[in-house]
Amino acid sequence: MGLLDALFGGGSKLKAPAPDRLFAMTTAHVTLETELDLHSRGVAGIVFQPLSTADFTALVREAEELLASAAEDTGSRVESADDSHGYRWIKVRDSDFEDLVVSLNLISSQLQSGGYGDRLLACVFPFTQGTGGRSVHFIYNFKRGSFYPFVPAGGPHARDNEEELRLKAQVGGELPIEPDLTRWFPLWDVPL
Amino acid sequence: MLLTLLLLGAVYVAFVVILLAAGAGATVMLVVVGVLVFAQLFLSDKIALRAMGAREVSPDQAPGLHAMIERLCIQADLPKPKVAVADTPVPNAFALGRSQKKATVCATTGIMNTLSPAELEGVMAHELAHVKNRDVLIMTIASFFASVAAIITQFGFFFGGGMGDDDEGGAGFLVVLLVSFAVYILSFFLMLALSRYREFSADRGAALVTGRPSALSSALLKISGRMEQVPQQDLRAAGEMNAFFIVPTSVKGALQTVFSTHPPMEKRIERLEGLERQLQAGVAA
Repeated sequence: MGLLDALFGGGSKLKAPAPDRLFAMTTAHVTLETELDLHSRGVAGIVFQPLSTADFTALVREAEELLASAAEDTGSRVESADDSHGYRWIKVRDSDFEDLVVSLNLISSQLQSGGYGDRLLACVFPFTQGTGGRSVHFIYNFKRGSFYPFVPAGGPHARDNEEELRLKAQVGGELPIEPDLTRWFPLWDVPL
Repeated sequence: MLLTLLLLGAVYVAFVVILLAAGAGATVMLVVVGVLVFAQLFLSDKIALRAMGAREVSPDQAPGLHAMIERLCIQADLPKPKVAVADTPVPNAFALGRSQKKATVCATTGIMNTLSPAELEGVMAHELAHVKNRDVLIMTIASFFASVAAIITQFGFFFGGGMGDDDEGGAGFLVVLLVSFAVYILSFFLMLALSRYREFSADRGAALVTGRPSALSSALLKISGRMEQVPQQDLRAAGEMNAFFIVPTSVKGALQTVFSTHPPMEKRIERLEGLERQLQAGVAA
């Protein structure tokens, strides 16, 4: 933020998405699977804040149709849902991890090319840890172009920070991990 | 609120004049003013929270509010502020803290019960926009400049003559005091204008983050309508804290505009409508 922005109350635009590093997940996935015993649940989601404008609605419908026709080739299943906070989730189910990333990227690049990249919030990749079945999420923050782990603990709205930091240490070489821990925002009640 | 701010500033100025009269040098003066500003920057948020009866809440205690703020923070690219709730029926919300990392946003139980989730989201986004724009810091610095301006006038008077004659000491002192107040009052109104301007900025910031300017409009209407129905003592209890409130607790005649920290409701809603039109017109327009 420049000095003028600071004096006159901020820029007139939302921060645009950082350069896309979503595809880092496709290579990191191999390490997660083989070395950390984290297995994809065969589903991933992208979440964004829908605008109630004709322009935006048409763009989203177009992106969804595009994704649906791509899904016919790859055999993915696509669903969308609105959550209780008014955010739209587009969920993709596919046993091929790479197809998941490609599908989510298709939605995000559609929104960005339509000029609505600033509405994109995050991508969520749920994993299951080992045989215990514990759930681990990797969240990709579009504004910052980085990933962070999110491990819900047992209690309501409790998270296992120790495990998250351990994962950071283990996959830091493969994934661009968000360095600022204050930006490791949880996403509760993820409909995935 | 206006009176409080004015009196607070007047106390500053009078204090400095008395120090000067007592023969304090420029260095002592700077140190004293520095300490006061420091205290304002570093302690005022804690004092204000306590005065409002607000307490910080954990994600466990207010999961909905936390989740809402977390998503807004991702969207606005901000670190998460502390979240506080004040247990009062007055529907209001405010932001505190000198920096983005030390910020606290507070909502009253009244506002959480009054507004729909989308409206509350608009209000919290407005408060986060204050945090993003560093409004608390800017207003503190602005008020500091107002005091400094007054001090400089005083120095001008002391060194520009009028001190030679022992007989005129009393009258000279009075003139210095009056001119200082005049300078102070002028800068005070400039500060209010700055504050109103920054309210518009925060409204615009909120509309950008949520993408729903109309939700904020309807929240503002709802709050302002509710304001008058709330018992008087609650209004008075809240009266001290207007600066970073979403709506000041009393909205009266047109003359008040110039005396007010917030722009008039109609103007704010008008601008939000403009934003909504822009939004509906789409990116291409």
